[in-house]
Amino acid sequence: METITKMIVINSSKLLPSDVAIKLYESKAEVMVKETCFGVMVSGERDIVDSLLLEIRKLDPYGIFIKERGFAPGEPYRCRATRRGGAKPGFHNLENDDKLLPHIASALKALDRGEIPIQKKQTKKLNIDKFKEIIKESEVL
Amino acid sequence: MKVFIYPTNSLILSDLVERFGHEPLAIMQEIGKKVRTQGLDSPPMNMTPEDPKFGLKYAAVEVPSGVRGRMSLFDPLLSKAEAAIIVIEPVISFGCMGCARTNELVNFLLRGKKIPLLKLDYPTNEEDAKMFVYKISEFLKSLKPAEDKK
Amino acid sequence: MSTTENLVRIAQLSCGAEYSGIQNEIDSAVKQVNAVMVYPEVDIGDIEAIEEEFGLKVASPDLKLLMARAKSIVTGKVHVDAVFIATCFRCAEAAIVRSEVRRYINEKTGIPVISYSFTERTTAGTLLTRMEALTTTARRKSLLAREKQNGLTAGIDSGSTTTKAVVMKDNKIIGKGWVPTIKVLESAQEAFNNAMKEAGVTRSDIQALGTTGYGRFLIGEFLKADLMQEEITVNSKGAVYLADKQKGPATVLDIGGMDNKAISVMDGIPGMFTMGGICAGASGRFLEMTAKRLGVGITELGALALKGNAHNVKMNSYCIVFGIQSLVNSLAGGSTPEDVAAAACHSVAEQLFEQQLQEVDVKEPVIMVGGTSLIQGLPKAVEELLKVKVIVPDNAQYIGAVGAALLASGFISK
Repeated sequence: METITKMIVINSSKLLPSDVAIKLYESKAEVMVKETCFGVMVSGERDIVDSLLLEIRKLDPYGIFIKERGFAPGEPYRCRATRRGGAKPGFHNLENDDKLLPHIASALKALDRGEIPIQKKQTKKLNIDKFKEIIKESEVL
Repeated sequence: MKVFIYPTNSLILSDLVERFGHEPLAIMQEIGKKVRTQGLDSPPMNMTPEDPKFGLKYAAVEVPSGVRGRMSLFDPLLSKAEAAIIVIEPVISFGCMGCARTNELVNFLLRGKKIPLLKLDYPTNEEDAKMFVYKISEFLKSLKPAEDKK
Repeated sequence: MSTTENLVRIAQLSCGAEYSGIQNEIDSAVKQVNAVMVYPEVDIGDIEAIEEEFGLKVASPDLKLLMARAKSIVTGKVHVDAVFIATCFRCAEAAIVRSEVRRYINEKTGIPVISYSFTERTTAGTLLTRMEALTTTARRKSLLAREKQNGLTAGIDSGSTTTKAVVMKDNKIIGKGWVPTIKVLESAQEAFNNAMKEAGVTRSDIQALGTTGYGRFLIGEFLKADLMQEEITVNSKGAVYLADKQKGPATVLDIGGMDNKAISVMDGIPGMFTMGGICAGASGRFLEMTAKRLGVGITELGALALKGNAHNVKMNSYCIVFGIQSLVNSLAGGSTPEDVAAAACHSVAEQLFEQQLQEVDVKEPVIMVGGTSLIQGLPKAVEELLKVKVIVPDNAQYIGAVGAALLASGFISK
């Protein structure tokens, strides 16, 4: 079985990375846990990690987001401590995704309430005749 | 079902696909496999000059090596994809998704696969995000559930 | 190599290196010159704003990251000693970014920059000379500031085709040696002996010795040289010294037997440079083969070319096989040897212009050095293409040896 790493990104008012880490430790599962600025990283056999995270999600379904990570925690080429300088490219992706998480959380809540969002009207390019008219009008001025 | 996500390193897409009971096909899995490959010593990602050569499957030799190397990473995901969610004009993302030419080619190949495809705009506010999540959930509901991975 | 010297911090600004499978090669080359790659810190806001600030819109996010990192160097957010800019060969978008970022960093900071376009075939060996030059420029500013040769020193330049040696005393060349490179050590010894004989000195009289060129390490270790230095630094120094253009900007062009160098110099110190070695059609070898086909010596080809008109001969290719075939065909079609000689010079110059001079800023004076600069048709063809006057200093063929002897005099006091 391959050893994988998953990132738990926390965007929650009721949960801290340390809370999640404690839960993971309490599970006594054979995984490696590392707290980070954005959440927690968990490494272990895929099945163990996946079933463990199914439970972890329940702590705050709208505040926990999960994705796999290619590198293990602390990998010297990717870890900022040893990389000499800026973050790994993927960190900037995460920064981007993180900004949107509150909106995704409220969208998930709305979905669970059974709300069906209304499709916004798409804006089309201005009709050429209308545009000509506007130009003519501005010429008069 | 195995759902290709674009951007392939997106936290949100990866999370939503998994949350709604399908298997996201994300590039991180392929990088993980490379990194864990024993015996290769080509840090950081264990990619070697053999990878761009493998990429010749998708693009001719006059196509930059970076495009072909990235294509070799995308190859297993493209062949496994049974459905796809594509975000049109996503916010900038780097690394595996850092090359515009590769991204165009991946998009082109996905469209050619004739698999269920959902195209979406990147949300910028809460209202858009609701539509984004709703469409993804409806799309994923319409697909058969993921097979047991074991 | 300078492994005992200070660690040099080189900023890596690149797109596609990891995915081309060559990051390990880059890391291995920098390790050999006792340097490390650093990745300038940026935040997401810097990246989002960079296109507007830098003024260049690009589709590839990694190129945005590259530009943002460049800005972080220019604004002093991060301290680095040198910059390595590398993108995939044949990527048009990246080529524009590479070129503009190189200029931006060099103009705003004066930090030495090298730009390179790689393929999956790029190896640490290919990168090594470039990294060596980059780190030398960064760490040996005081040595490179030397403008006069002192004492009795010698320099040996072990090139791929010929080996040159000079003995210098009190800022003058007093002995020269020039032999074809057959066996690196023996040829070097022979050229060195010839130079010492002409100068009337022996090895024990020589106060310091410098070596350069492909065989620099082998010869340097054997002859216990004080300085073993790659040819980019040495040739820049030698060129501005021989042409007496030590202050201000200059561009040094050297078409070698196996590779070409185009170096943008400021006050005798290389700022930007390229080294090309992919095509034999852009090398001295092409001219050698043309001379052979015309039945003239390589030393006669230049004068012949001056009398001809390159535009009278149609060449279908720059290639050393197919291009030469074009020349042969045109001879059969009635072209004069003069026109053919001129066309060969034009072909080599045009390749230099198209493939290398786009990577450096050509600023006058333009100094051509190396053995090929004596083939008069070649500097003339470069003049026509660049529309500037090209200087070929006296003893241009001894450029590496003179540069090495000049720099070696900095080691006398030790």
